[in-house]
Amino acid sequence: MARPTRRMHEHEEAGLRKNRKRIRKIPTGIVGLDKVLDGGLPAERMTLVGGGPGSGKSIIGLQWLLAGADAGDPGMLILFEERVASVRQNAAGLGWDVAKLEQKGLLCLLDARISPEAVVSGDFSIKGLLAIIGQKAKAMRARRIVIDALDALLYLYDSPMRERHELYTLHEWLLDQKLTTMMTVKTVPQEESPRYAFLDFMADCVIHVDQRVTQQITTRRLRVVKYRGSGYGRNEYPFVISQDGINVIPITSNELQHRPLGPKVSSGQAGLDVVLAGGFRRGASTLIVGTAGSGKTTLACIFAQAAGRRGERVLYINFEESAESMVGNMLSPGLALGPLIARGTLVIRSYLPEAMGVEEHLFHALKALDELQPQHVIVDAISACKRMGSEQAAFEYLMRLLNDCRERGITCFYLNQATGLDIVAEISGIGISSIIDTVVLLRHLPVDNAMKRQLLVMKSRGSKHSDLFHEFQITDQGIELEQI
Amino acid sequence: MKSRSRKTRRTAPAGGKTYVFQLFVAGNESNSTQARDNLARLCKEHLMGRHEITVVDVLKDAATAYAHRVLVTPTLLLIKPLPKVLLLGNLSDTRHVLAALRLIGGER
Repeated sequence: MARPTRRMHEHEEAGLRKNRKRIRKIPTGIVGLDKVLDGGLPAERMTLVGGGPGSGKSIIGLQWLLAGADAGDPGMLILFEERVASVRQNAAGLGWDVAKLEQKGLLCLLDARISPEAVVSGDFSIKGLLAIIGQKAKAMRARRIVIDALDALLYLYDSPMRERHELYTLHEWLLDQKLTTMMTVKTVPQEESPRYAFLDFMADCVIHVDQRVTQQITTRRLRVVKYRGSGYGRNEYPFVISQDGINVIPITSNELQHRPLGPKVSSGQAGLDVVLAGGFRRGASTLIVGTAGSGKTTLACIFAQAAGRRGERVLYINFEESAESMVGNMLSPGLALGPLIARGTLVIRSYLPEAMGVEEHLFHALKALDELQPQHVIVDAISACKRMGSEQAAFEYLMRLLNDCRERGITCFYLNQATGLDIVAEISGIGISSIIDTVVLLRHLPVDNAMKRQLLVMKSRGSKHSDLFHEFQITDQGIELEQI
Repeated sequence: MKSRSRKTRRTAPAGGKTYVFQLFVAGNESNSTQARDNLARLCKEHLMGRHEITVVDVLKDAATAYAHRVLVTPTLLLIKPLPKVLLLGNLSDTRHVLAALRLIGGER
């Protein structure tokens, strides 16, 4: 299970405090989802989780029960389709020993598959099911119930009217028993009149999950459709099913909780510190824009080296090259990254942008922030992020990462490769430039039969920086800036 | 109940085995009452008394219901002679029930 971060915990507690006067909630155990649900599922009510095949609805239910069992709150999983043994196996894949929880009476997996050989003759009701649930729930003091794929039983009615009637009976019964229920329902995207659409009206909370493919990259999305008596995040949120289970990544937090910018910190290059009037500010975000080979990576690595010498940790997310090739390339401007990596002050994580969807990239990045607790983050290069699927995907990734860095007071460097010669027009940086504090421009210019490198600080919030183009050279001693 | 038993055999099938049933009901709900009556009539007409019926009320004995994975009521289990048969519903369709219980067949 994902270890909740301190920051998210605070969010959760704040959410729960706010809701104390309103309806009681039960956390799902999925940190991001609890944030979207403003605390969790409605207690003693029914929540519907609808989605297509492979959308992850059953895992959400299982994870909720496991989180409950972990906290000593017993639960029941009623399976109308899946085998008990395969659920045990799936849970083991998420690192849970279901058999142990079953022995302790904290979890009950109930096999409710109807034999395919059953013959139907005449009308019937699901009273047997209710009696079994009631008796088991009482015996183990279970308060939370997941009903998975009930349609596998209801189809025996062969009548939408009868199905609806039995579902209303079930709903009423669950409410009478004061059980907190999560029910999964299969939905087919773009279906004209979905068979179980009426359930959305009946349930107090409705969550839709789906899996879609854009530009050959699969992404998972989750949306809360309704929540009676409570506020909730109204957007579509990306989520990942990883080895820890479900991780929901709310893209937009309700409030901006950015920390104020910190004191100046050296860029690692004396001349550049002068140009920047003292260096970069801690917790600030910097965009370094330039054409290929203009020295963006070198500039970033000089900073990383200086940070490492101060004993600070840098996370370098590289979408362009592997750690090995980067270390090798940086030897030429005289930068020895190897020792920094060996000391753990520099951590390089290389990813192929198209290898996974935006939420998986985000998940990896945020997990790295949690695990490494870096003071600085460098992303090289944000222009490659478009390959995560679309411009929108890149924007989501960069915005969310930047937001998280700001909340944690992490200094953030985004390197952006400009393609044209008119770099000034290209600094927009996938629409994020408005929240960037500092923009450093690097360019190559033909001057007197030679290519000259120039550096310009285009903007730097809260500091009196130089607004001149400064010529610089990349030597085997790093970067040399001309004297001002 | 309509009783249109046309040319169904009025004797028990060869071997004269005793039919052992377990009928799961939910108290006195109408489907359960109907199933009781329908089963009693079928047994009288087609088994000539060579049957045993145990009625389980799931509202009182959910454990037995779960042991047999009985989720709907009424449910009729034919335990003997093998193979077992599982019938759901109030047993209103007599011919359908008789066919499932192998008490008629080979007519077509």
